[in-house]
Amino acid sequence: MAEAALCWVLRAARQVLPLSCPRQVRSYYVDWRMLRDVKRRKMAYEHADERLRINAIRKNSILPKELQEVADKEIAALPRDSCPVRIRNRCVLTSRPRGVKRRWRLSRIVFRHFADHAQMSGVQRAMW
Amino acid sequence: KDKSAASKDSTPEGAAERQEDGAETPKQQLLDIIGNMKVEVSYRKKLQKLKASENKKQAMNKLEGPDSEGSVPQGITENTQRDKPLNPELVKAASAVASSLPHDKKQAESELLAQLRRHEETTDKLKKGETVNIRNVISEMTVKRQSSAQWGAKLSGRISLQFDEDGQRIRPERSSAQSMDSRRSLKVGKRLNIFTKASTEPEHALKTVSSPTIWDLEFAKEVAAVTAQPPRNGFEEMIQWTKEGILWEFPIDNEVGMEDDAEFHEHIFLEKHLEGFPKEGPIRHFMELVICGLSKNPYLSVKQKVEHIEWFQKYFEEKKELLQEI
Repeated sequence: MAEAALCWVLRAARQVLPLSCPRQVRSYYVDWRMLRDVKRRKMAYEHADERLRINAIRKNSILPKELQEVADKEIAALPRDSCPVRIRNRCVLTSRPRGVKRRWRLSRIVFRHFADHAQMSGVQRAMW
Repeated sequence: KDKSAASKDSTPEGAAERQEDGAETPKQQLLDIIGNMKVEVSYRKKLQKLKASENKKQAMNKLEGPDSEGSVPQGITENTQRDKPLNPELVKAASAVASSLPHDKKQAESELLAQLRRHEETTDKLKKGETVNIRNVISEMTVKRQSSAQWGAKLSGRISLQFDEDGQRIRPERSSAQSMDSRRSLKVGKRLNIFTKASTEPEHALKTVSSPTIWDLEFAKEVAAVTAQPPRNGFEEMIQWTKEGILWEFPIDNEVGMEDDAEFHEHIFLEKHLEGFPKEGPIRHFMELVICGLSKNPYLSVKQKVEHIEWFQKYFEEKKELLQEI
């Protein structure tokens, strides 16, 4: 009787363990700009639904214009970082803002480095 | 037993010696006679040992009868057999039997006591119903007796595949096998509970126990931390990652985490959610467009769509005063 209860507790503990056990997860982003970009992405994700709905009211030819003006003011009142336009697709490894290929999320220099060392699957030097 | 084995090994040697030395001194002959006597005595000892072991088994069987009833209240609480002392009657019987044996009385007694302990272990396990008694399993099985003709037919069938006109293999043996099995029906006999779970009564008893205390949780955490050894190889690492959720399960299931139990009509016919809105006017028009768009959206779950519509409802209710001015 006691053993079965203990078994149940063990099972629960094994599931809980990864959360409660304080594994030292203190990672650094490449630089502060990357950190800010990460924060903007998180905020944009949180407010995405709201923005979509308020925009649906705004970009409308059916609803009265007063309603649309109110919606304009509302969307402007949202935090600035919540708009997706502010997100910049930076390189994941070097945080370079320009020359980033979307498929690999890497800047051109890093991409070239890995491709030359044959660490990019399916990527080959072009020759024709 | 070792001494008897050694003496038995020496008997062929002694016989060879006797045959080689035909004309011996009388002293040698005397020694040979003594050697013969030793052999005979050891053989007698072995017979005695066999008889003693039979007697011991009979005694234990006799004693097990009255003892099993006595040890039932003892054996319920815990599983540790070393702590539980053997029944004193059994111990006395074991010592008596050991004393009757010719030599190595202490060793024999310890062996007997060890056997007794093992017997009690098995009886306890059987009472708790944990182990599967092989007797129960075998009792229902019977040896299939096939005539040699059938056996020959089976062999020939395997070697040469007989094809029908359609190209399908002739299988005459199947019907015979099924008829043989139907004689012994499947549901006759005691349930062994090998594949199905045991009765649910102990589970009900468990639920009445109060939730485990903090100390239990701590102990459980300690045990889990100790038993969670670092992975020995890449496979174990991948297993660990899969359990944590870092690695997907293969073959890849595209619908992991997406449990949409709703039918298609719940996705498409969303007009029933439009009851909170006015029946005419631009808002209704707008909401009908919204619903049309949602019905064509395969990426959202029904819950998300309903939330979408409810958000609009709340929004328009807040703006009611504004709308009435217009």
